[in-house]
Amino acid sequence: MSAKEMTAMKLDPRTKMVMVICLSCLALIYNTPGRLLLVLAATIVLLLIFRFDPSAVFGYLKPFLSLMLILFVIQCIFSPGGNVLLTVGPVPLVTDNGLLVGSSVVLRIIVVIAAAMLLTTFSSRDFILGLVQWKVPYEVAFMVFIALRFLPIFREEAINVITAIQLRGIELKKVPWGQKMTIYRQLFFPLIYGMMQKAQQLAVSMEARGFRAYPRRTYLRRLNFNLTDYVVMLLFSAVTLMLILLQIT
Amino acid sequence: MAYLELRQVTFSYPRKMKPALTGINLNFEKEEITAITGPNGCGKTTLTKLMIGILKATEGEIYLAGRPLTDYSLAEIGSRIGYVFQKPDLLLFCSTVAEEIGFGLTNRGCDPETVQKRIKFYLDYFELTDYRNDFPLHLSQGEKERLAIAAMLANEPEFLILDEPTIGLDAYRKKLLENYLKKIARLGRGMILVSHDAPFVNRLAERVVFMADGRIQVCNERKGNDGYEA
Ligand SMILES: Nc1ncnc2c1ncn2[C@@H]1O[C@H](COP(=O)(O)OP(=O)(O)OP(=O)(O)O)[C@@H](O)[C@H]1O
Ligand SMILES: [Mg+2]
Repeated sequence: MSAKEMTAMKLDPRTKMVMVICLSCLALIYNTPGRLLLVLAATIVLLLIFRFDPSAVFGYLKPFLSLMLILFVIQCIFSPGGNVLLTVGPVPLVTDNGLLVGSSVVLRIIVVIAAAMLLTTFSSRDFILGLVQWKVPYEVAFMVFIALRFLPIFREEAINVITAIQLRGIELKKVPWGQKMTIYRQLFFPLIYGMMQKAQQLAVSMEARGFRAYPRRTYLRRLNFNLTDYVVMLLFSAVTLMLILLQIT
Repeated sequence: MAYLELRQVTFSYPRKMKPALTGINLNFEKEEITAITGPNGCGKTTLTKLMIGILKATEGEIYLAGRPLTDYSLAEIGSRIGYVFQKPDLLLFCSTVAEEIGFGLTNRGCDPETVQKRIKFYLDYFELTDYRNDFPLHLSQGEKERLAIAAMLANEPEFLILDEPTIGLDAYRKKLLENYLKKIARLGRGMILVSHDAPFVNRLAERVVFMADGRIQVCNERKGNDGYEA
Protein backbone atom coordinates (compact mmCIF):
# COMPACT_ATOMS: atom_id res chain seq x y z
CA MET A 1 0.00 0.00 0.00
CA SER A 2 1.33 3.43 -0.88
CA ALA A 3 1.44 6.26 1.65
CA LYS A 4 -1.39 8.00 -0.11
CA GLU A 5 -3.61 4.98 0.12
CA MET A 6 -2.82 4.56 3.77
CA THR A 7 -4.16 7.99 4.62
CA ALA A 8 -7.16 7.48 2.41
CA MET A 9 -8.11 4.26 4.11
CA LYS A 10 -8.01 5.90 7.48
CA LEU A 11 -10.52 8.64 6.71
CA ASP A 12 -13.45 8.80 9.08
CA PRO A 13 -16.68 7.43 7.57
CA ARG A 14 -18.30 10.78 8.22
CA THR A 15 -15.74 12.47 6.03
CA LYS A 16 -16.71 10.14 3.24
CA MET A 17 -20.36 10.88 3.85
CA VAL A 18 -19.63 14.56 3.45
CA MET A 19 -17.85 13.79 0.18
CA VAL A 20 -20.85 11.88 -1.08
CA ILE A 21 -23.19 14.69 -0.11
CA CYS A 22 -20.96 17.23 -1.87
CA LEU A 23 -20.76 15.19 -5.06
CA SER A 24 -24.49 14.56 -5.08
CA CYS A 25 -25.23 18.26 -4.54
CA LEU A 26 -22.99 19.19 -7.45
CA ALA A 27 -24.67 16.57 -9.61
CA LEU A 28 -28.07 18.03 -8.80
CA ILE A 29 -27.04 21.64 -9.32
CA TYR A 30 -25.20 21.19 -12.60
CA ASN A 31 -27.29 20.83 -15.70
CA THR A 32 -24.84 20.61 -18.57
CA PRO A 33 -23.31 17.29 -19.66
CA GLY A 34 -19.80 18.78 -19.69
CA ARG A 35 -19.80 19.80 -16.02
CA LEU A 36 -21.53 16.60 -14.99
CA LEU A 37 -18.82 14.63 -16.74
CA LEU A 38 -16.24 16.52 -14.69
CA VAL A 39 -18.08 15.60 -11.47
CA LEU A 40 -18.21 12.01 -12.65
CA ALA A 41 -14.48 12.06 -13.31
CA ALA A 42 -13.85 13.41 -9.81
CA THR A 43 -16.03 10.67 -8.36
CA ILE A 44 -14.14 7.99 -10.25
CA VAL A 45 -10.82 9.36 -9.03
CA LEU A 46 -12.12 9.21 -5.46
CA LEU A 47 -13.33 5.65 -5.96
CA LEU A 48 -9.87 4.72 -7.21
CA ILE A 49 -8.25 6.36 -4.19
CA PHE A 50 -10.47 4.31 -1.91
CA ARG A 51 -9.60 1.23 -3.92
CA PHE A 52 -13.08 0.62 -5.20
CA ASP A 53 -13.08 -0.87 -8.69
CA PRO A 54 -14.98 1.71 -10.81
CA SER A 55 -15.99 -0.99 -13.30
CA ALA A 56 -18.04 -2.54 -10.50
CA VAL A 57 -20.22 0.57 -10.59
CA PHE A 58 -21.59 -0.66 -13.88
CA GLY A 59 -22.97 -3.72 -12.15
CA TYR A 60 -24.90 -1.48 -9.79
CA LEU A 61 -26.11 0.65 -12.67
CA LYS A 62 -27.55 -2.24 -14.65
CA PRO A 63 -30.90 -2.40 -12.85
CA PHE A 64 -31.34 1.31 -13.52
CA LEU A 65 -30.54 1.12 -17.23
CA SER A 66 -34.12 0.88 -18.42
CA LEU A 67 -35.16 3.68 -16.07
CA MET A 68 -32.36 5.86 -17.40
CA LEU A 69 -33.33 5.10 -20.98
CA ILE A 70 -36.96 6.02 -20.33
CA LEU A 71 -35.95 9.26 -18.59
CA PHE A 72 -33.60 10.07 -21.43
CA VAL A 73 -36.28 9.61 -24.06
CA ILE A 74 -38.87 11.56 -22.09
CA GLN A 75 -36.48 14.47 -21.49
CA CYS A 76 -35.42 14.42 -25.13
CA ILE A 77 -38.95 14.67 -26.39
CA PHE A 78 -40.47 17.06 -23.89
CA SER A 79 -37.69 19.63 -23.44
CA PRO A 80 -38.66 22.77 -25.32
CA GLY A 81 -36.43 25.01 -27.41
CA GLY A 82 -33.24 24.46 -29.35
CA ASN A 83 -32.57 23.51 -32.94
CA VAL A 84 -34.79 20.80 -34.34
CA LEU A 85 -32.90 17.65 -35.32
CA LEU A 86 -35.78 15.32 -36.12
CA THR A 87 -39.40 16.02 -36.97
CA VAL A 88 -42.29 13.59 -37.20
CA GLY A 89 -44.97 15.20 -39.33
CA PRO A 90 -45.55 18.69 -37.96
CA VAL A 91 -44.13 17.85 -34.52
CA PRO A 92 -40.47 18.63 -33.78
CA LEU A 93 -39.50 15.44 -31.93
CA VAL A 94 -35.82 15.75 -31.07
CA THR A 95 -34.02 19.03 -30.50
CA ASP A 96 -30.39 19.57 -29.58
CA ASN A 97 -31.56 21.10 -26.33
CA GLY A 98 -33.59 17.98 -25.60
CA LEU A 99 -30.54 15.78 -26.16
CA LEU A 100 -28.48 17.89 -23.77
CA VAL A 101 -31.14 17.83 -21.05
CA GLY A 102 -31.66 14.09 -21.56
CA SER A 103 -27.99 13.19 -21.26
CA SER A 104 -27.66 15.46 -18.20
CA VAL A 105 -30.40 13.56 -16.42
CA VAL A 106 -28.72 10.25 -17.17
CA LEU A 107 -25.29 11.51 -16.09
CA ARG A 108 -26.80 12.86 -12.89
CA ILE A 109 -28.12 9.42 -11.95
CA ILE A 110 -24.77 7.83 -12.74
CA VAL A 111 -22.89 10.32 -10.56
CA VAL A 112 -25.24 9.86 -7.61
CA ILE A 113 -24.95 6.07 -7.79
CA ALA A 114 -21.19 6.13 -8.28
CA ALA A 115 -20.78 8.53 -5.35
CA ALA A 116 -22.92 6.28 -3.18
CA MET A 117 -20.37 3.53 -3.83
CA LEU A 118 -17.98 5.51 -1.64
CA LEU A 119 -20.24 4.55 1.25
CA THR A 120 -19.47 0.90 0.66
CA THR A 121 -15.75 1.42 1.22
CA PHE A 122 -16.10 1.43 5.00
CA SER A 123 -17.77 -1.07 7.26
CA SER A 124 -21.42 -0.70 8.11
CA ARG A 125 -20.60 -0.65 11.82
CA ASP A 126 -18.45 2.43 11.34
CA PHE A 127 -21.25 3.99 9.39
CA ILE A 128 -23.74 3.62 12.24
CA LEU A 129 -21.14 4.68 14.77
CA GLY A 130 -20.40 7.81 12.78
CA LEU A 131 -24.04 8.82 12.56
CA VAL A 132 -24.68 8.10 16.23
CA GLN A 133 -21.75 10.24 17.31
CA TRP A 134 -23.34 13.00 15.30
CA LYS A 135 -26.33 12.63 17.64
CA VAL A 136 -28.46 10.85 15.06
CA PRO A 137 -30.71 8.47 17.04
CA TYR A 138 -29.47 4.91 16.81
CA GLU A 139 -32.74 3.62 15.37
CA VAL A 140 -32.59 6.11 12.54
CA ALA A 141 -28.93 5.40 11.84
CA PHE A 142 -29.68 1.71 11.82
CA MET A 143 -32.56 2.20 9.44
CA VAL A 144 -30.34 4.11 7.02
CA PHE A 145 -27.85 1.29 7.29
CA ILE A 146 -30.50 -1.34 6.59
CA ALA A 147 -31.70 0.62 3.59
CA LEU A 148 -28.15 0.63 2.24
CA ARG A 149 -27.81 -3.07 3.01
CA PHE A 150 -30.98 -3.79 1.10
CA LEU A 151 -29.79 -2.38 -2.19
CA PRO A 152 -27.40 -5.29 -2.77
CA ILE A 153 -30.00 -7.75 -1.47
CA PHE A 154 -32.50 -6.40 -3.94
CA ARG A 155 -29.95 -6.71 -6.69
CA GLU A 156 -29.12 -10.27 -5.67
CA GLU A 157 -32.79 -11.18 -5.56
CA ALA A 158 -33.26 -9.78 -9.06
CA ILE A 159 -30.24 -11.71 -10.34
CA ASN A 160 -31.56 -14.91 -8.74
CA VAL A 161 -34.89 -14.54 -10.45
CA ILE A 162 -33.31 -13.87 -13.82
CA THR A 163 -31.12 -16.96 -13.37
CA ALA A 164 -34.11 -19.07 -12.35
CA ILE A 165 -36.04 -17.96 -15.43
CA GLN A 166 -33.18 -18.85 -17.73
CA LEU A 167 -32.80 -22.21 -16.05
CA ARG A 168 -36.38 -22.91 -17.09
CA GLY A 169 -35.06 -22.76 -20.62
CA ILE A 170 -36.20 -19.26 -21.53
CA GLU A 171 -33.73 -17.21 -23.53
CA LEU A 172 -34.56 -13.80 -22.09
CA LYS A 173 -32.43 -12.01 -24.66
CA LYS A 174 -34.38 -13.55 -27.52
CA VAL A 175 -37.85 -13.10 -26.07
CA PRO A 176 -39.81 -10.44 -27.98
CA TRP A 177 -40.44 -7.14 -26.18
CA GLY A 178 -44.13 -7.63 -25.54
CA GLN A 179 -43.61 -10.98 -23.88
CA LYS A 180 -40.65 -9.69 -21.92
CA MET A 181 -42.82 -6.92 -20.48
CA THR A 182 -45.43 -9.50 -19.49
CA ILE A 183 -42.78 -11.58 -17.76
CA TYR A 184 -41.37 -8.59 -15.88
CA ARG A 185 -44.83 -7.48 -14.86
CA GLN A 186 -45.53 -10.97 -13.56
CA LEU A 187 -42.30 -10.96 -11.57
CA PHE A 188 -42.67 -7.57 -9.97
CA PHE A 189 -45.01 -8.52 -7.15
CA PRO A 190 -43.26 -11.75 -6.10
CA LEU A 191 -39.90 -9.97 -6.12
CA ILE A 192 -41.08 -7.17 -3.85
CA TYR A 193 -42.88 -9.63 -1.66
CA GLY A 194 -39.82 -11.84 -1.31
CA MET A 195 -37.83 -8.83 -0.16
CA MET A 196 -40.45 -7.79 2.32
CA GLN A 197 -40.41 -11.27 3.73
CA LYS A 198 -36.65 -11.00 4.20
CA ALA A 199 -37.01 -7.62 5.88
CA GLN A 200 -39.62 -9.03 8.23
CA GLN A 201 -37.39 -11.96 9.17
CA LEU A 202 -34.57 -9.52 9.83
CA ALA A 203 -36.77 -7.42 12.11
CA VAL A 204 -37.87 -10.46 14.08
CA SER A 205 -34.35 -11.80 14.49
CA MET A 206 -33.13 -8.34 15.54
CA GLU A 207 -35.74 -8.08 18.25
CA ALA A 208 -35.05 -11.60 19.35
CA ARG A 209 -31.44 -10.55 19.88
CA GLY A 210 -32.39 -7.56 21.98
CA PHE A 211 -32.49 -4.67 19.51
CA ARG A 212 -34.04 -1.74 21.41
CA ALA A 213 -34.62 -3.86 24.48
CA TYR A 214 -32.60 -1.43 26.60
CA PRO A 215 -33.06 2.32 26.55
CA ARG A 216 -29.35 3.06 26.18
CA ARG A 217 -26.88 1.13 24.17
CA THR A 218 -23.17 1.23 24.61
CA TYR A 219 -20.41 1.33 22.05
CA LEU A 220 -17.07 -0.39 22.18
CA ARG A 221 -15.22 2.08 20.04
CA ARG A 222 -15.27 5.79 19.42
CA LEU A 223 -14.49 7.24 16.05
CA ASN A 224 -12.08 10.10 16.11
CA PHE A 225 -11.59 12.77 13.54
CA ASN A 226 -7.96 13.36 12.81
CA LEU A 227 -6.38 16.30 11.06
CA THR A 228 -6.73 14.80 7.58
CA ASP A 229 -10.45 14.41 8.16
CA TYR A 230 -10.89 18.04 9.08
CA VAL A 231 -8.82 19.21 6.14
CA VAL A 232 -10.53 16.97 3.61
CA MET A 233 -13.98 17.78 4.91
CA LEU A 234 -13.36 21.50 4.94
CA LEU A 235 -11.81 21.42 1.50
CA PHE A 236 -14.66 19.47 0.01
CA SER A 237 -17.39 21.59 1.56
CA ALA A 238 -15.64 24.82 0.62
CA VAL A 239 -15.04 23.82 -2.98
CA THR A 240 -18.57 22.52 -3.36
CA LEU A 241 -20.07 25.66 -1.89
CA MET A 242 -17.96 27.81 -4.14
CA LEU A 243 -18.93 25.81 -7.21
CA ILE A 244 -22.59 26.00 -6.28
CA LEU A 245 -22.38 29.75 -5.79
CA LEU A 246 -20.62 30.13 -9.13
CA GLN A 247 -23.32 28.09 -10.80
CA ILE A 248 -26.18 30.06 -9.29
CA THR A 249 -24.86 33.53 -10.04
CA MET B 1 -18.70 -40.14 -24.76
CA ALA B 2 -20.12 -39.15 -21.41
CA TYR B 3 -23.07 -36.78 -21.22
CA LEU B 4 -21.46 -34.51 -18.64
CA GLU B 5 -17.72 -34.55 -18.33
CA LEU B 6 -15.57 -32.68 -15.81
CA ARG B 7 -11.84 -32.50 -16.44
CA GLN B 8 -9.49 -31.25 -13.76
CA VAL B 9 -12.04 -28.75 -12.55
CA THR B 10 -10.91 -26.34 -9.87
CA PHE B 11 -13.00 -23.54 -8.47
CA SER B 12 -12.39 -20.78 -5.94
CA TYR B 13 -14.92 -18.24 -4.76
CA PRO B 14 -13.77 -14.66 -5.18
CA ARG B 15 -11.77 -13.30 -2.24
CA LYS B 16 -11.20 -16.77 -0.81
CA MET B 17 -7.78 -18.30 -0.50
CA LYS B 18 -8.70 -21.94 -0.34
CA PRO B 19 -10.37 -23.37 -3.46
CA ALA B 20 -13.87 -24.80 -2.89
CA LEU B 21 -13.12 -27.57 -5.41
CA THR B 22 -9.78 -29.00 -6.47
CA GLY B 23 -8.95 -31.16 -9.50
CA ILE B 24 -12.35 -32.76 -10.00
CA ASN B 25 -12.53 -35.46 -12.69
CA LEU B 26 -15.97 -36.97 -13.18
CA ASN B 27 -18.10 -38.44 -15.93
CA PHE B 28 -21.87 -38.73 -15.92
CA GLU B 29 -23.73 -40.90 -18.39
CA LYS B 30 -27.03 -39.73 -19.74
CA GLU B 31 -29.00 -42.65 -18.39
CA GLU B 32 -27.30 -43.04 -15.07
CA ILE B 33 -28.37 -42.11 -11.55
CA THR B 34 -25.43 -40.78 -9.57
CA ALA B 35 -25.51 -39.65 -5.98
CA ILE B 36 -23.06 -37.16 -4.50
CA THR B 37 -22.59 -37.14 -0.75
CA GLY B 38 -20.16 -35.68 1.74
CA PRO B 39 -20.02 -33.52 4.84
CA ASN B 40 -21.40 -29.96 5.02
CA GLY B 41 -19.30 -27.48 3.12
CA CYS B 42 -17.34 -30.05 1.11
CA GLY B 43 -18.41 -28.39 -2.14
CA LYS B 44 -21.36 -30.42 -3.42
CA THR B 45 -23.58 -27.44 -4.15
CA THR B 46 -20.67 -25.59 -5.71
CA LEU B 47 -20.02 -28.58 -7.98
CA THR B 48 -23.63 -28.68 -9.20
CA LYS B 49 -23.66 -24.94 -9.81
CA LEU B 50 -20.59 -25.36 -12.00
CA MET B 51 -22.29 -28.12 -13.95
CA ILE B 52 -25.24 -25.95 -14.93
CA GLY B 53 -23.16 -22.89 -15.65
CA ILE B 54 -24.22 -20.58 -12.80
CA LEU B 55 -20.58 -20.57 -11.73
CA LYS B 56 -17.63 -20.77 -14.10
CA ALA B 57 -14.72 -23.10 -13.41
CA THR B 58 -11.52 -21.29 -12.43
CA GLU B 59 -9.47 -24.03 -14.06
CA GLY B 60 -10.32 -27.11 -16.10
CA GLU B 61 -13.10 -27.87 -18.55
CA ILE B 62 -16.68 -29.06 -18.39
CA TYR B 63 -18.32 -30.68 -21.41
CA LEU B 64 -22.03 -31.15 -21.98
CA ALA B 65 -22.90 -33.61 -24.76
CA GLY B 66 -19.41 -33.20 -26.18
CA ARG B 67 -19.39 -29.40 -26.35
CA PRO B 68 -17.70 -27.14 -23.81
CA LEU B 69 -20.24 -25.83 -21.32
CA THR B 70 -19.06 -22.29 -22.00
CA ASP B 71 -20.52 -22.56 -25.53
CA TYR B 72 -24.04 -22.83 -24.15
CA SER B 73 -26.22 -20.04 -22.85
CA LEU B 74 -27.82 -20.50 -19.45
CA ALA B 75 -31.19 -21.03 -21.11
CA GLU B 76 -29.79 -23.74 -23.39
CA ILE B 77 -28.36 -25.58 -20.42
CA GLY B 78 -31.60 -25.05 -18.53
CA SER B 79 -33.68 -26.62 -21.27
CA ARG B 80 -31.46 -29.73 -21.22
CA ILE B 81 -30.76 -30.06 -17.52
CA GLY B 82 -33.41 -29.53 -14.87
CA TYR B 83 -31.86 -28.11 -11.72
CA VAL B 84 -33.41 -27.78 -8.29
CA PHE B 85 -31.54 -25.56 -5.86
CA GLN B 86 -30.90 -26.54 -2.29
CA LYS B 87 -33.00 -23.51 -1.35
CA PRO B 88 -36.22 -23.91 -3.32
CA ASP B 89 -37.15 -20.25 -2.66
CA LEU B 90 -34.55 -19.25 -5.21
CA LEU B 91 -36.50 -21.00 -7.96
CA LEU B 92 -39.94 -19.65 -7.17
CA PHE B 93 -40.85 -16.33 -8.70
CA CYS B 94 -44.46 -16.49 -9.90
CA SER B 95 -47.64 -15.27 -8.23
CA THR B 96 -49.42 -18.61 -8.02
CA VAL B 97 -48.45 -22.26 -7.73
CA ALA B 98 -50.12 -23.16 -11.03
CA GLU B 99 -48.39 -20.32 -12.87
CA GLU B 100 -45.08 -21.48 -11.43
CA ILE B 101 -45.47 -24.95 -12.95
CA GLY B 102 -46.64 -23.60 -16.29
CA PHE B 103 -44.15 -20.74 -16.55
CA GLY B 104 -41.47 -22.49 -18.59
CA LEU B 105 -43.94 -24.14 -20.95
CA THR B 106 -45.98 -21.00 -21.56
CA ASN B 107 -42.98 -18.87 -22.28
CA ARG B 108 -41.45 -21.39 -24.62
CA GLY B 109 -44.55 -21.31 -26.74
CA CYS B 110 -46.45 -24.46 -25.76
CA ASP B 111 -50.13 -24.25 -26.67
CA PRO B 112 -52.32 -23.33 -23.67
CA GLU B 113 -54.23 -26.60 -23.68
CA THR B 114 -51.11 -28.75 -23.30
CA VAL B 115 -49.84 -26.39 -20.62
CA GLN B 116 -53.08 -26.69 -18.63
CA LYS B 117 -53.00 -30.47 -18.93
CA ARG B 118 -49.44 -30.70 -17.70
CA ILE B 119 -50.06 -28.26 -14.85
CA LYS B 120 -52.99 -30.39 -13.75
CA PHE B 121 -50.92 -33.56 -13.93
CA TYR B 122 -48.06 -32.22 -11.82
CA LEU B 123 -50.38 -30.52 -9.33
CA ASP B 124 -52.10 -33.87 -8.88
CA TYR B 125 -48.97 -35.95 -8.67
CA PHE B 126 -47.22 -33.78 -6.12
CA GLU B 127 -50.48 -33.17 -4.26
CA LEU B 128 -50.42 -29.44 -4.70
CA THR B 129 -53.88 -29.09 -6.25
CA ASP B 130 -55.34 -27.50 -3.11
CA TYR B 131 -52.71 -24.78 -3.27
CA ARG B 132 -52.87 -24.05 -6.99
CA ASN B 133 -53.91 -20.43 -6.47
CA ASP B 134 -51.68 -19.80 -3.47
CA PHE B 135 -48.59 -17.65 -3.42
CA PRO B 136 -45.53 -19.95 -3.76
CA LEU B 137 -43.47 -18.24 -1.06
CA HIS B 138 -46.28 -18.84 1.45
CA LEU B 139 -46.03 -22.62 1.13
CA SER B 140 -44.39 -24.76 3.78
CA GLN B 141 -40.81 -25.91 3.27
CA GLY B 142 -41.80 -29.35 1.97
CA GLU B 143 -44.48 -27.90 -0.28
CA LYS B 144 -41.99 -25.43 -1.75
CA GLU B 145 -39.57 -28.26 -2.43
CA ARG B 146 -42.29 -30.27 -4.19
CA LEU B 147 -43.32 -27.22 -6.19
CA ALA B 148 -39.74 -26.50 -7.26
CA ILE B 149 -39.33 -30.11 -8.36
CA ALA B 150 -42.69 -30.11 -10.15
CA ALA B 151 -41.92 -26.86 -11.96
CA MET B 152 -38.63 -28.30 -13.13
CA LEU B 153 -40.09 -31.66 -14.19
CA ALA B 154 -42.90 -29.97 -16.12
CA ASN B 155 -40.26 -28.77 -18.58
CA GLU B 156 -39.30 -32.42 -19.23
CA PRO B 157 -35.53 -31.92 -19.24
CA GLU B 158 -33.34 -34.80 -20.44
CA PHE B 159 -31.19 -34.81 -17.30
CA LEU B 160 -31.82 -33.74 -13.72
CA ILE B 161 -29.66 -32.33 -10.97
CA LEU B 162 -31.35 -32.23 -7.59
CA ASP B 163 -29.59 -30.59 -4.66
CA GLU B 164 -30.94 -32.07 -1.42
CA PRO B 165 -34.34 -32.96 -2.86
CA THR B 166 -35.56 -34.79 0.24
CA ILE B 167 -34.95 -32.00 2.74
CA GLY B 168 -38.23 -31.11 4.39
CA LEU B 169 -40.19 -33.95 2.77
CA ASP B 170 -42.12 -36.32 5.00
CA ALA B 171 -41.67 -40.07 4.56
CA TYR B 172 -44.74 -40.40 2.36
CA ARG B 173 -43.76 -37.52 0.04
CA LYS B 174 -40.23 -38.87 -0.12
CA LYS B 175 -41.61 -42.15 -1.38
CA LEU B 176 -43.69 -40.31 -3.97
CA LEU B 177 -40.64 -38.45 -5.19
CA GLU B 178 -38.62 -41.63 -5.26
CA ASN B 179 -41.24 -43.41 -7.35
CA TYR B 180 -41.41 -40.53 -9.77
CA LEU B 181 -37.64 -40.37 -10.15
CA LYS B 182 -37.56 -44.12 -10.78
CA LYS B 183 -40.22 -43.70 -13.43
CA ILE B 184 -38.18 -40.98 -15.13
CA ALA B 185 -35.07 -43.12 -14.92
CA ARG B 186 -36.88 -45.96 -16.69
CA LEU B 187 -37.59 -43.51 -19.52
CA GLY B 188 -33.84 -43.24 -19.93
CA ARG B 189 -33.31 -39.89 -18.25
CA GLY B 190 -30.38 -39.76 -15.88
CA MET B 191 -29.87 -37.63 -12.83
CA ILE B 192 -27.49 -36.45 -10.15
CA LEU B 193 -28.77 -36.48 -6.59
CA VAL B 194 -26.94 -34.50 -3.96
CA SER B 195 -28.10 -35.83 -0.63
CA HIS B 196 -27.27 -36.68 2.96
CA ASP B 197 -30.17 -39.08 2.99
CA ALA B 198 -28.33 -42.41 2.77
CA PRO B 199 -31.35 -44.74 2.53
CA PHE B 200 -32.90 -42.60 -0.21
CA VAL B 201 -29.64 -42.46 -2.12
CA ASN B 202 -29.04 -46.17 -1.77
CA ARG B 203 -32.45 -47.06 -3.10
CA LEU B 204 -32.00 -44.94 -6.21
CA ALA B 205 -28.39 -44.45 -7.15
CA GLU B 206 -26.33 -46.73 -9.34
CA ARG B 207 -23.19 -44.93 -8.33
CA VAL B 208 -22.21 -42.93 -5.27
CA VAL B 209 -19.55 -40.25 -5.29
CA PHE B 210 -18.12 -39.30 -1.89
CA MET B 211 -16.61 -35.88 -1.54
CA ALA B 212 -14.55 -34.35 1.23
CA ASP B 213 -12.89 -30.97 1.39
CA GLY B 214 -13.44 -30.10 -2.25
CA ARG B 215 -12.09 -33.36 -3.65
CA ILE B 216 -13.49 -36.66 -4.83
CA GLN B 217 -12.76 -39.29 -2.18
CA VAL B 218 -14.38 -42.46 -3.48
CA CYS B 219 -16.44 -43.26 -6.52
CA ASN B 220 -18.52 -46.40 -5.92
CA GLU B 221 -20.33 -48.38 -8.57
CA ARG B 222 -23.13 -50.08 -6.78
CA LYS B 223 -25.04 -51.70 -9.67
CA GLY B 224 -26.45 -55.02 -8.55
CA ASN B 225 -25.42 -54.40 -4.99
CA ASP B 226 -28.54 -54.21 -2.89
CA GLY B 227 -26.90 -54.97 0.40
CA TYR B 228 -27.47 -51.40 1.58
CA GLU B 229 -31.18 -51.57 0.99
CA ALA B 230 -32.82 -49.91 3.96
N1 LIG C 1 -21.03 -17.60 -2.39
C1 LIG C 1 -19.98 -18.06 -1.71
N2 LIG C 1 -18.92 -17.27 -1.46
C2 LIG C 1 -17.84 -17.72 -0.80
N3 LIG C 1 -17.72 -18.95 -0.33
C3 LIG C 1 -18.73 -19.82 -0.53
C4 LIG C 1 -19.92 -19.41 -1.23
N4 LIG C 1 -20.76 -20.47 -1.28
C5 LIG C 1 -20.13 -21.48 -0.65
N5 LIG C 1 -18.91 -21.10 -0.20
C6 LIG C 1 -17.93 -21.96 0.52
O1 LIG C 1 -17.58 -23.05 -0.31
C7 LIG C 1 -17.53 -24.25 0.41
C8 LIG C 1 -18.42 -25.29 -0.22
O2 LIG C 1 -19.77 -24.89 -0.12
P1 LIG C 1 -20.98 -25.74 -0.71
O3 LIG C 1 -22.23 -24.93 -0.55
O4 LIG C 1 -20.64 -26.20 -2.06
O5 LIG C 1 -21.02 -26.99 0.31
P2 LIG C 1 -22.03 -28.23 0.34
O6 LIG C 1 -21.19 -29.44 0.15
O7 LIG C 1 -23.13 -28.01 -0.61
O8 LIG C 1 -22.55 -28.18 1.84
P3 LIG C 1 -23.98 -28.60 2.44
O9 LIG C 1 -23.93 -30.04 2.74
O10 LIG C 1 -24.08 -27.78 3.69
O11 LIG C 1 -25.01 -28.22 1.43
C9 LIG C 1 -17.92 -23.91 1.84
O12 LIG C 1 -16.74 -23.87 2.60
C10 LIG C 1 -18.57 -22.55 1.76
O13 LIG C 1 -18.26 -21.79 2.89
MG1 LIG D 1 -25.13 -27.78 -0.46
